Formats: sequence, structure tokens, C-alpha cells
Amino acid sequence: MLRLLTLGLAALLLPCALAAQDQRLTERLDPATAAAVGVLVDSAGQAGLPTEPLVQKALEGSTLGANGDRIRAAVATLVGQLGRARDALGGGADGAELTAAAGALRAGLPSSALRRLQALRSNRPLVVPIAVLTDLVAEGVPPDQATRSVLDLARDGRPDDEFVALRRQVQIQRRGARAPDPLDRPALKPAADPPVDR
Amino acid sequence: MPADHDDELHDELLRRVVAELRRPVHLDPGLDARALRAIRDDQRRRPPARRHLWLAGTALAAGLLVAVMLRLPASGGSAELPAVAAGTLETRHVEIRLSAPASSVAVVGDFNDWDPAATPLQPTADGGVWSVDLQLKPGRYHYTFLIDGRRWEGDPSEPRATKSDFGAPVSVLTVS
Repeated sequence: MLRLLTLGLAALLLPCALAAQDQRLTERLDPATAAAVGVLVDSAGQAGLPTEPLVQKALEGSTLGANGDRIRAAVATLVGQLGRARDALGGGADGAELTAAAGALRAGLPSSALRRLQALRSNRPLVVPIAVLTDLVAEGVPPDQATRSVLDLARDGRPDDEFVALRRQVQIQRRGARAPDPLDRPALKPAADPPVDR
Repeated sequence: MPADHDDELHDELLRRVVAELRRPVHLDPGLDARALRAIRDDQRRRPPARRHLWLAGTALAAGLLVAVMLRLPASGGSAELPAVAAGTLETRHVEIRLSAPASSVAVVGDFNDWDPAATPLQPTADGGVWSVDLQLKPGRYHYTFLIDGRRWEGDPSEPRATKSDFGAPVSVLTVS
């Protein structure tokens, strides 16, 4: 009887396990890479991390012609960054916030900046402020300065569009347009926050 | 008459049969219990796999149903199901443009499973400029352009990803 119950349970779980192996991975990656990435995706899912960014990273590698080892390494790195992002933002952060936070950590921003931004936003979505913070650093703004500006907008309760507008202004300024440096505006130069931990 | 004789014999036989059937039958009081016990024993002696085949079949059917349900969202590939977007937020209209002398331009990214065939850009009337409209949820997207089916090019109007995992130029689009 016990054997049969085990058989029934296995019959129940086997299709689930097969479904867990994302069809996109098996269709776009070689079998060994698909299996290795599938293990990473499964373990991330079991740890409560978002899995879709991992699948996208693998698909990105496939489309851009990377070999299996490189794809595997990139996905494994992203798993680690998502884990660090969850450590920074806590279990209440959703998948989009964790993904954005992983990008910020990858860009060299410290976890403390994410935690302070989260505290200032108090239950409002974090995706856009974190993404803008990351973009500012990508545009060449020093992380401390970028963090102070974004935290200032968050402290004032500004909507997401204003974060994006800040990034646009910085982009224009940095790329040689004649717009004034938005980071020099008094409203965006808070001195209240201590320097960001690096 | 022989026929009358035969009828008498048949009548006699019928009377005896009826009399036998009408005779009261005294059953053993423990018969019911023994019969039920025998039925249970018989069921226990049957091969268990056969007896519980329905259980495994039901579990398999349930598993397949779960598998189908799990697979449905994963096989999408739609530009409206981005990787990093918040699930409940409304989509935004985003126009992606690229100015490039080319015979074909496509965009690949987190929003279309990096599928080069999914999102071709169309040439605009002013010539040399290619564009496509997307519906994206708020979030942060990585993407790049495929020029003439063989060359990767980042979006000059958006920031580059800080580190490229695979060597090609990848841009980042933030949708608010």
C-alpha cells in the first residue's frame, strides 16, 4: 500500500518537475546548459527568489552567441546578486524590486543605499527609484552623489516620473547638451543623509 | 392413454418440486458474518496495484494538469510579459527608435525572450529611422538591436548596462 502511495505521489510530482524545466531553456540552450541553468533556476525558486530574470539572462546569452559555460556563470552570478538584494530589502520585496536591486548592486551601489531608499519610500514601489539610481551610476555619476539625489526625491515623496525626469536631465547634461546639471539644483542636493557606506 | 399417463407424471413431478421449494430453510445465524469476512479476504488477496490503479491514474492526471498550468505562463514570449516588471501594474506605451542605415532592424530584450524574430522595427517615413511600439509594465529592461541580422548595437538614447555578461552592447530602459 505504501509503495502504491509513493508511486501515486511520484506520478503527481513528476509532471511538475518536468514543467519546472522551463521550455524556453530546453528549446534555446544545449541540453547540458539547459540542465545546469534549470538547476540554478530551481534552487533560486526554492529560495524564494524570482526566476524569470534568470531565464532571461540565459536567453540573452543564447541569443548573443555565448557558450554554455559563460551562460551558466552569468546566471549563477545573478542568483547571488538576487540573494544579496533580498538580504538588503527583506522578504517583503517583490520580484521586480529584487531584480532592480540586483542591478544596483551589480553597478556597485551598496546595500545600505537600497535599505535607506526602501525606508523613505515606505510601502511605495521601489522599482523605478532603484532603476534610476542604477542608471545614474551607469551614466557616470559617482554612487554617493547619485544616491543622495535619489534619496532626496524619495524623501520628498516625489512620483516615479520625477525620478525618470532626473535621469533624463542627467543624461542630457552628461552627453554634452546645454541643460544645467540637475544634480546642482538645491532641491536635489540634500546634506541630511550621512555618506553612503561603500 | 399414454398421454394422460405422461400428464400425471409431470403433475407429480411438479408437485414434488413445489413442495421442495416451499420447505423452510434454516440458515446458520453466522452465515452473514462469514460471507462478509470472505468478501473482505477476497479483496485483500487481489493484487493491490490493480485495486489502487485509480489512485495513481488520478495523481498522474492531477500532475499533468498542474504541469500544464505551470507551463502556460512560461511559454509566452509576449512583449507584454516582461521579466522585471511588477505584476499588477498597468502597461505603458513605449516607442523604441533607432537611426541606422540598415535593411532590417530588430530589438531583442527581456520583454520578448531575446527572440530576434519577435519584434522587428519598421522604417519610418523620414528614412533611416526605425521604430516599434511596445506595451511594457513599469520596470527595468535590458535590450539591444540586431542590425541586418548580424550586428548588435546598443540604443544610443538610453544608458548602457554597467557590465555586459556576453560582450554585446546592451542598453537599459526604465519604464515608470
